[in-house]
Amino acid sequence: MFKLDHKLMVAGVALALSSTLLFGGSSADSSTLPGKYSSQPGAIDGGVIYPRKDGVHTAYRYNEQSTKGVNFGRLPTANEIAAWDVDALPDGTGLPEGEGSVEEGDELFETQCASCHGDFGGGGNGYPQLTGGNQSKDENGVIITLKNQRLQPGMAAPTRTIGTYWPKATTLFTYIRDAMPYATPKSLSANDTYALTAYILAQNQIVIDGEKMTDEYVLNAEKLAKVVLPNNNGFYPNIDGPEGPANVKAFFADRAKNIGSGTRCMSNCKDPGMDGKTEATVMKIGYEMKDVVPPYAYARDLPPEVDDKSVSKAEKLYNANCKVCHTTDAMGAPAVGDEEAWHSVMAKGFDKVLYNAVNGIGGMPAKGGNEDLTPSEIRDIVKFMTDSSKKKH
Amino acid sequence: MNQEFETEELTSVSRRDFFKKTATVSAAAAAAILAPSTVLADDPAIMHHPKWGTTLGAEINANPYGFPSKYEHNVVRRTSALMSSAGDMHAAISMTPLHEQKGIITPNGLHFTRTHNGVAHVDPNEYRLMIHGLVEKPIVLTLEQLKRYPSESKIHFVECPSNGAAEWKGPQFNSVQFVRGMMSCTEWTGVRLKTILDELGLKPEAKWMLAEGSDGSEMSRTLPIEKVLDDVMIVYGQNGEALRNEQGYPVRLLAPGWEANLCVKWLKRLEFGDKPWYAKEETSKYTALTASGKAIQHFYALETNSIITSPCPEIPWTDLKVGDLVEIEGLAWTGHGTVSGVDITFDGGKNWVEANLKGLVLPKAWTRFSYMYRYEGKPLLLASRSYDDSDNVQPTVNQEKKVVGVEGVYHRNAIHTWAVNAKGEVNNVQIRS
Repeated sequence: MFKLDHKLMVAGVALALSSTLLFGGSSADSSTLPGKYSSQPGAIDGGVIYPRKDGVHTAYRYNEQSTKGVNFGRLPTANEIAAWDVDALPDGTGLPEGEGSVEEGDELFETQCASCHGDFGGGGNGYPQLTGGNQSKDENGVIITLKNQRLQPGMAAPTRTIGTYWPKATTLFTYIRDAMPYATPKSLSANDTYALTAYILAQNQIVIDGEKMTDEYVLNAEKLAKVVLPNNNGFYPNIDGPEGPANVKAFFADRAKNIGSGTRCMSNCKDPGMDGKTEATVMKIGYEMKDVVPPYAYARDLPPEVDDKSVSKAEKLYNANCKVCHTTDAMGAPAVGDEEAWHSVMAKGFDKVLYNAVNGIGGMPAKGGNEDLTPSEIRDIVKFMTDSSKKKH
Repeated sequence: MNQEFETEELTSVSRRDFFKKTATVSAAAAAAILAPSTVLADDPAIMHHPKWGTTLGAEINANPYGFPSKYEHNVVRRTSALMSSAGDMHAAISMTPLHEQKGIITPNGLHFTRTHNGVAHVDPNEYRLMIHGLVEKPIVLTLEQLKRYPSESKIHFVECPSNGAAEWKGPQFNSVQFVRGMMSCTEWTGVRLKTILDELGLKPEAKWMLAEGSDGSEMSRTLPIEKVLDDVMIVYGQNGEALRNEQGYPVRLLAPGWEANLCVKWLKRLEFGDKPWYAKEETSKYTALTASGKAIQHFYALETNSIITSPCPEIPWTDLKVGDLVEIEGLAWTGHGTVSGVDITFDGGKNWVEANLKGLVLPKAWTRFSYMYRYEGKPLLLASRSYDDSDNVQPTVNQEKKVVGVEGVYHRNAIHTWAVNAKGEVNNVQIRS
């Protein structure tokens, strides 16, 4: 069986590499091998598409009956759509009325944002840095510091701030309004949001339509739509315009070039470390991250006991020693919670009931069968049982 | 009661004596494997009635929902301050314990979790899903109405594109949970989005879909229509029950094989448009900066990938004897299609052998691989390399680095190597220049 699978697997690879090549040379039918599904190339992500045909979709079957006419839910009202459809596109479509100045934004930022994002949005508190970084570009219009690669310890990182990395300013507005401040999202008005957006853009030395953003600069929808952030052209493939989806598809179709792909070398593979040596170079952990929560632990042992304070000691003793017989009256014992049964038990008086508990009565052994229980523990248990079986008024 | 059996709990001393005595006669045991031994020590775990066999067990419905055994308390998701802002555990990520993962279905309580503004707790009675924009008929659905649509159930992995991101510049965590635990695989149940859209009537100019969550971060992403009409689902079921809060209860989007971030949780709104939206999590984040200084955007599918889960740092081979036949086991997955096979190397990538796939082999799902190995007690550089039916082969660290550099954060799928030393201990290493 192992050998057969092995052969089919190699054949399957050959088949995948050439979709026109028919599988041959073996009596086994590759279509019966689990995991081989009919497919066609050309998914937008560079992968394959699996057809749905005759009630079969890869390993799954589906109901072929028509779903036409399945119709639940209702039309939303115009107000409902307006309430939820508040997103904005980079061209400004969808931005709300309102305005705010850099100066107003400064005040808001100090009280609402700086504790996480640092003074002037410069970071330093562990939360995202919003401003700073070098925006200088090379001859191709690429921000030079974004080419930083930390190949060796101590090398500078690329700084990804709004001024050096973000492509669109409308994103800043909608994100602040919908998701900030972190602990109280959606608490800022449109005016507040314009002011904060203005402040952060100003801190990133953004120039709008040739105009520098001074403290007095007032931002609104029209002006925000005109912002061109420094890294606007820093992303690929191009998703804009009617050809956007086709560009994406073409990009992911050439994954070896654009993303990097492996090769299925099986023996004497040259230079797996690709550093000019046949011996692989082994990089070990330099500084091991051990700060994990909860800490690494693999034992199959009992967890540390957590004392449940909501359960009294008497109840725990009852659960451990008495509950088995006293939950129902099936074993002849008065069930805890059965008011009438316990009413007649208690008619004998508490001391007699306690005496019976200690010495046994009927089918019940002395101390319920646990000789280790102390007289005071028995007393607590009986008290718990009788209290739990009193008439509720 | 049979008084010949003692019922007290095993003491650690008796256990130690047992193993000590057994170890000294293991050679004799190997020689006389079929005959009951007279020289081996008797195992107290066999010679005593255990406590659970001499007392009444718990009531049948003591836990009406059910918990794992108390002894499994270390099998949990784990997180690290490194993967959060300043150790803040509201916008953070917690990892699935892959070393304890059996088969291809992750239990719901162990599903990896990523949140951008904490775990939202949505009241299902107030849940609404709005679908609007470039459709002939916009719609708003309650949870019950959504569940009235015909359902599908599919097994798919969900993976954060940051999975393995701590390792771009070199190995950092000595743990398979932290090396690759930002992923899980479950059976998802919901409605194929195309089924609903066929009724609403998608307008021809609709090219993109915005998916928006209702949590504090209003997490939103843009997806191309082509994927939406292929296999995207609106899911409310996970392994036979409702989604967990951590996975977007009551409803999330599922884009099979694509970034988990595109599988928007606590789903609130789907809008169809003719332009992409440029949401925050598809511009400032979830874009992969390459060495050219430019970044890949709309980076959807998770590439073909694999990792050996046994042995691993958590489950080393320190208990093996030379000559033991042992299974090397791992997980392979691809967002582009179906795993075709997995190769294994013992020498850091110079020579490879084919492993066997085992269990279900499903598109865009975890796939198990297995290889029986005769343990020699020698140091190994052990790694796996997967390939899929979309002609993808998992790259070496250097092959990937050469094209995208080391600052991309996302979509790292380089071959992962464990160094097994002569003692059988397993450490995270990389084969790279």
